[in-house]
Amino acid sequence: MSVYEFDRVAPIDPPAGSRDDVDDVHFVPAPCQVACPIGTDAPSYIAYTWEGKFEEAFEAITATNPFSSICGRVCDAPCEPACRRADSDGAIAIRNIKRYVMDKLGPDFRPTPVEVTRGETIGIVGGGPAGLTAAKDLAEAGFEVHVYEMTDRLGGMMVWGIPTFRLPVGIIQQDLDRLAARCPGIKIHLSCGLGSGVTLDELKQRHDAVLVSIGAWQGKDMAELDPNDPRIVNGVDYLRRINGGERPDMPETVLVIGGGDVAMDACRAARRLTGCKHVKVLYRRGPDEIPARREELEGAIQEGIEIIYNVQPVDITEGDAGFGLQCVRTELGEPDEDGRRRPVDVVGSEHFVAGGLVVVAVGQKAECDELARNFMMNGDRVRTDWDDMRTSDAKVFAAGDGAFGGSTIVMAMQHGHRAAYYMKAFLDGNSKPLPYRTPFRTSRVPVAQDPEWEIFNRQHQDFKGLGDKPLAFPEIETTYDDAAVRAEVARCYRCDAETGSADYSVQNREDIFMMARAKLSDVPTQTAILNKRLKSHAEPFPEDHLPSLDDLVFLPANLSRLVIDPYRDPCNVTARIGGRIALASPLLATGFDAAPVEIRNALGAGLADHGSAYIGQQSVGNNVPWLQLLDPENDAPSAQAAALIYTREGGFTEFAVPACADDQLKGLRVHRDDLKHALPFALDHEFDVLLLDGSPGSGVWPELAGNPDFAVIRDTLRLLRAMNREEDIEILYFGGIRSGTDLAKMIGLGANGVVLGASLGFALGGQVADGEFEFSGGGDEQERGEAVSLFFKSLAMEASIMARCTGKTDIHNIEPEDLRSIARATSLATGIPMPGKDAHR
Amino acid sequence: MATIDLAEIPVREANELIRRAGAVGENVEVLNPDAKHHIGVGLVHDINVKIRGSAGYFCAGLTDTARFEVDNNVGWGLADNMLGGSVVVHGNAGAIAGVANRGADIIVHGNVGSRAGQVMKSGTLVCAGNANFMAGYIMYGGRIIILGDSGEQVGQDMTGGDIIVGGNINSLGKDAALTDLSGAESDKILELLDRYKISHKGVFQKITNDGKQLRYSRDEPRTRAIPFFEATGDAGYWNEKVQEDIHIKAQIGRYRIRGYGTSRPLPHFSDIAFRKDIESLRPDPDVVDRIEMKTEIGGRTGAKPIKLSMPVMIAPMSYGALSKSAKLALATASALSDISENTGEGGMMDEQREAANQLIYQCLSGRLGWSIHDMQRADGLEIYISQGAKPGLGGQLMANKVTAEIARIRGIPEGIDLRSPSRHPDVLGADDLVIKIEEFREATGYRIPVSVKLGAGRVSDDIKIACKDGFDYVSLDGLQGSTGAAGSEVLEFVGIPTLAAIQEAVDALAEIGRPGELPIVLMGGIKTGVDAAKALALGASAVAVGTSALIAGGCISCLQCHVGNCVVGIATQDPEHERRYNISTEARNIHHFLESFRWQLAAITEGLGYDDVHKICRDDLVALTPEAAEITGLDYVPGHGAREPALLSRVS
Repeated sequence: MSVYEFDRVAPIDPPAGSRDDVDDVHFVPAPCQVACPIGTDAPSYIAYTWEGKFEEAFEAITATNPFSSICGRVCDAPCEPACRRADSDGAIAIRNIKRYVMDKLGPDFRPTPVEVTRGETIGIVGGGPAGLTAAKDLAEAGFEVHVYEMTDRLGGMMVWGIPTFRLPVGIIQQDLDRLAARCPGIKIHLSCGLGSGVTLDELKQRHDAVLVSIGAWQGKDMAELDPNDPRIVNGVDYLRRINGGERPDMPETVLVIGGGDVAMDACRAARRLTGCKHVKVLYRRGPDEIPARREELEGAIQEGIEIIYNVQPVDITEGDAGFGLQCVRTELGEPDEDGRRRPVDVVGSEHFVAGGLVVVAVGQKAECDELARNFMMNGDRVRTDWDDMRTSDAKVFAAGDGAFGGSTIVMAMQHGHRAAYYMKAFLDGNSKPLPYRTPFRTSRVPVAQDPEWEIFNRQHQDFKGLGDKPLAFPEIETTYDDAAVRAEVARCYRCDAETGSADYSVQNREDIFMMARAKLSDVPTQTAILNKRLKSHAEPFPEDHLPSLDDLVFLPANLSRLVIDPYRDPCNVTARIGGRIALASPLLATGFDAAPVEIRNALGAGLADHGSAYIGQQSVGNNVPWLQLLDPENDAPSAQAAALIYTREGGFTEFAVPACADDQLKGLRVHRDDLKHALPFALDHEFDVLLLDGSPGSGVWPELAGNPDFAVIRDTLRLLRAMNREEDIEILYFGGIRSGTDLAKMIGLGANGVVLGASLGFALGGQVADGEFEFSGGGDEQERGEAVSLFFKSLAMEASIMARCTGKTDIHNIEPEDLRSIARATSLATGIPMPGKDAHR
Repeated sequence: MATIDLAEIPVREANELIRRAGAVGENVEVLNPDAKHHIGVGLVHDINVKIRGSAGYFCAGLTDTARFEVDNNVGWGLADNMLGGSVVVHGNAGAIAGVANRGADIIVHGNVGSRAGQVMKSGTLVCAGNANFMAGYIMYGGRIIILGDSGEQVGQDMTGGDIIVGGNINSLGKDAALTDLSGAESDKILELLDRYKISHKGVFQKITNDGKQLRYSRDEPRTRAIPFFEATGDAGYWNEKVQEDIHIKAQIGRYRIRGYGTSRPLPHFSDIAFRKDIESLRPDPDVVDRIEMKTEIGGRTGAKPIKLSMPVMIAPMSYGALSKSAKLALATASALSDISENTGEGGMMDEQREAANQLIYQCLSGRLGWSIHDMQRADGLEIYISQGAKPGLGGQLMANKVTAEIARIRGIPEGIDLRSPSRHPDVLGADDLVIKIEEFREATGYRIPVSVKLGAGRVSDDIKIACKDGFDYVSLDGLQGSTGAAGSEVLEFVGIPTLAAIQEAVDALAEIGRPGELPIVLMGGIKTGVDAAKALALGASAVAVGTSALIAGGCISCLQCHVGNCVVGIATQDPEHERRYNISTEARNIHHFLESFRWQLAAITEGLGYDDVHKICRDDLVALTPEAAEITGLDYVPGHGAREPALLSRVS
């Protein structure tokens, strides 16, 4: 399955009842997820693994995969070649991460059970991956499901086909135990094959629908080789015997014909058996064409197995050189019907390959007399319509290798999902269900915040090969330790996740990616991309978008003004409040009157270090200039305060202004609603400073309530201008200031300085809980103090960069004309015009 | 000896004659120079040129190998960017003598003006008299010898090289310090002076970089980007991103840096739509053959224009910000799609020149990797004033990426946090540009276009100036333009959106009665043929794609370009990481992207009923948002073209 088989530009609707998140504009299924036949949400389980959330990772892994423990070891993992990092320094080891998670949770971890809620029952023939996946889906949909298994155990080819050095005994039982725990409505009938234990008619009578998932149990023979010769065995039979517990002695040399997974398992099993010294795999095409998974092939080679490419056996011989295969060399000719280039014999290349046993692993086929009697076979497969998974019998569905030929576990599971979908639709009386497609879900897990993610190379599993006792079939490789898995999961690009850029969002990025990879001749895809791009998009600002300082941009100096070099040229950032209180930058602090003493001390030290001032009911010491915040009726002015800032709780009312010392400034804290009365009052009483409070809430941390109302500065200036008293009072602004850019913008809007509260709470290491800061974590007093100082320093630097970008050498020279608003709401709230049409007039 | 009399012929003709003499190895004498500008500019031959009098601006500028001698004085920009050879001036020199020197001996017997040797990389500048303020300003290498007094702030912001002072040091510049001068060094200096017959008695003092500002003092913690929609004010005022910014600034005490462009949603091309329903048409693969898309840009003043098979260029991006492999993939793709590639700031590579059919060579304030030879093999020259990502600031390249190779090609010390100057040494105002353009034209025989790159700010004013200055076209870069590294606040909040930029530019040209006279190549967030068609409709002559071409070539938009560890090998100079990039595969992918882009442009053109892409016009557009309507003046038609999701074209 190609990575792009799923149309990511114009996806069809997901199957009803499935969890699918493709409609989420901030999600595009990653290539690995699309490459997985069952849509496993690998990015989410990878990210959960980094977070150490293994139960969540388990949920993401097992959501569509009842055989996760098995797949963690032996899935052919089509996700990995699809991984975008495969092109860089190696794919993410998606399969082994799955194994790690499953091993981490251990065999006893149990999902919550689902009840039987429906009256209808379903019969499933065959307990392999296709049948059991369908059984799980249908059981989860509420049906009672009866599974009829020909052998004495469940698992199908997973137990009979895969040797225990790859899939240790017990692993499959973990998956089966979890399946049983999850779906008590699944009833198992072992040693009960179709025709041998139960007939099709009986199944149809007992159940409302039947699924035939009988597998492809017979190995195909080669016409050139006599299947009755005892020195020729079929790969499937060979593996079945070994997996059943036999350990036959081998001749010195074993020949394996074929290049698929069965050939790999057979050659590696043979290599471990007593007597075997050499194993040669004969494959009729070249190394680029061999279908075996790369890792299996490399494992086989590491175990000493010889792979002979471009060779075709034509006969068995027993001559002077002993028993062996007469072969010819091949070369690749024209492509055949399945698109692969057909091997062509090279004339005169006949040669002899000696070996005591020949294992033929050239494909599998289904055989079932019972179905054949009912005319339901089509050659060596069950006659099945891919579009609805039905056989020629209306009530009987089919899936898996038996229906579509030998394939992988994960493809069999896809068949199981698909069949369950159509069977449920049938039982629901829905005769025309939407076509099935693999659903793609996401858990929207944040990306792993590992700074080394770009550097880590693929972490390798420890390869054990044959081990000390090959005959015991010890497991060939280990999984990761905790450190290795963390490095490995950190490597994930997170192709599924929304980017940090609205302009190059995950949707936009993937559209560009498609443009770069879809063929120009693929008009439907090109048209789909074009139509998607022509479609109107969401507005950049939602209807309820509030005015925001983020909507203001600065106009840089280019040609029309002398460019001031923000990296080098000096720029004044100092300030003098009311002509008296000298500050290193127009940044003040407030809000920490009730904070723990060590936080106040740290703040004081930081403010002193930077050269800032504090506004509050109490001083923060450290000789930091203190602007006392006081209610004129309840609080006494302090002689230590550099300024007295009067505040009226519950709205402004006039008050008798007490006399203050000559060197003390007078200020008034006002909200927007107060302006009409407070402003004339302040001017009449010759106040020096207005503290404009744009914070949206009340209490100790009023800024935490949400967006500030910075229109207060617009209204203040309009009123002052109307009275022609703009120069008569200074303006400090408080509310939602986060950065030096915010400072520069407020200066541009008319402030002389800004007051920080909540942002300092964060800088001091505070955590917000219930609208309040808590300072339990974070560093010691000195570190916190340094953080304040560094934070102020960075803000002053940012503001001065903005000033210089606009061609100014003093931040106080930033003016409204240096700003534009890119949103109407903000343009209204600030009076700053928008750019573009007529902007220059 | 050929004699050229500037009383008889103009400088342009004289320079042609000097070059012709150079080609045959004949020395030249220039009579009656009359302080004219650009004398000798563009000469790259091993001859002697004697100038009998005083020369004006940029005397011997943009030259290599030749030896100049000037009897009297010279104006500013003496020996601008001279690669090799020598200049001897018997009188005084104006400001920025020896600017961007890359290896020549530049000898002034008299005094030199301010900022002598600004951004010089190599070679020697000798001033036998006194220097004015800021000698050695932002110098990266080479040697300045001042026998008289140093002037104020000598060595201001120097990052490399030596300044030797024989007289008084009036004051040291920022990040400059006095250091010991060995006897051997002193002897070498005297030897050099002797060679140029300059006598000096007394001791020398030596000034070098103080090393305090070459690197940011604290490393910024690396973080992976928070999804943009969780970082806007609409997602909560004190959202995770705001907190992250505060925490990191409280650790490092300075602004944050990252790659890419703006992160938040802005008014953009997706906020305007075509009036006509193009979706109901069924374009076929051959539509590209039916639509005229050829575009010529830059022939306004008689130069050979850039010839594009469609109105699309590759945006300027530097070797340095990008790996050599990524640059070569872009160059190759540009050739395959028959459009142009642009060097960006980092100089020109031979392989890049080879791979690109048409290559525009960009000149930045630091003159990093700038050379007359590359100018003369370029298909266009572009003077960078600013860029959309960080208008008002010079380029930024973090130390991780300033490898020995990058340092060599740029002529700067290895391993510094490079912050290119924000201002050209020789462009302090618009009029300076007129003379600078002329210098470039002289250096290239008026054969190739000279354009200006502008980040969008006061676009209306800037475009009028660019038009009057005589540029052949403007590369206009909106707020959405991306970069390899910039302060994150600058990325977000300086400049106006691309949509507003084109509108202001078009209006400004109309206002001065020169509509359409100055071609605008628009860039900054152009992603597809759909965006391009809208840009053309609003009045752009062409568009340029940068980030989207990188994405086509494997970029995953992680915004970590500044770190230098680019996981796919694009924005890195680490060979381990660059090895991850497959040039031929990615060149093909970028080419496919460009061809899909072309097909989209053609399909839209035909869908709108035209046979030429340049016939798309404003009337074809409507605005979908109030912001876009206000910015562009287009009709506001909310919900235009919106469809039920189920009706959206599906591909089976």
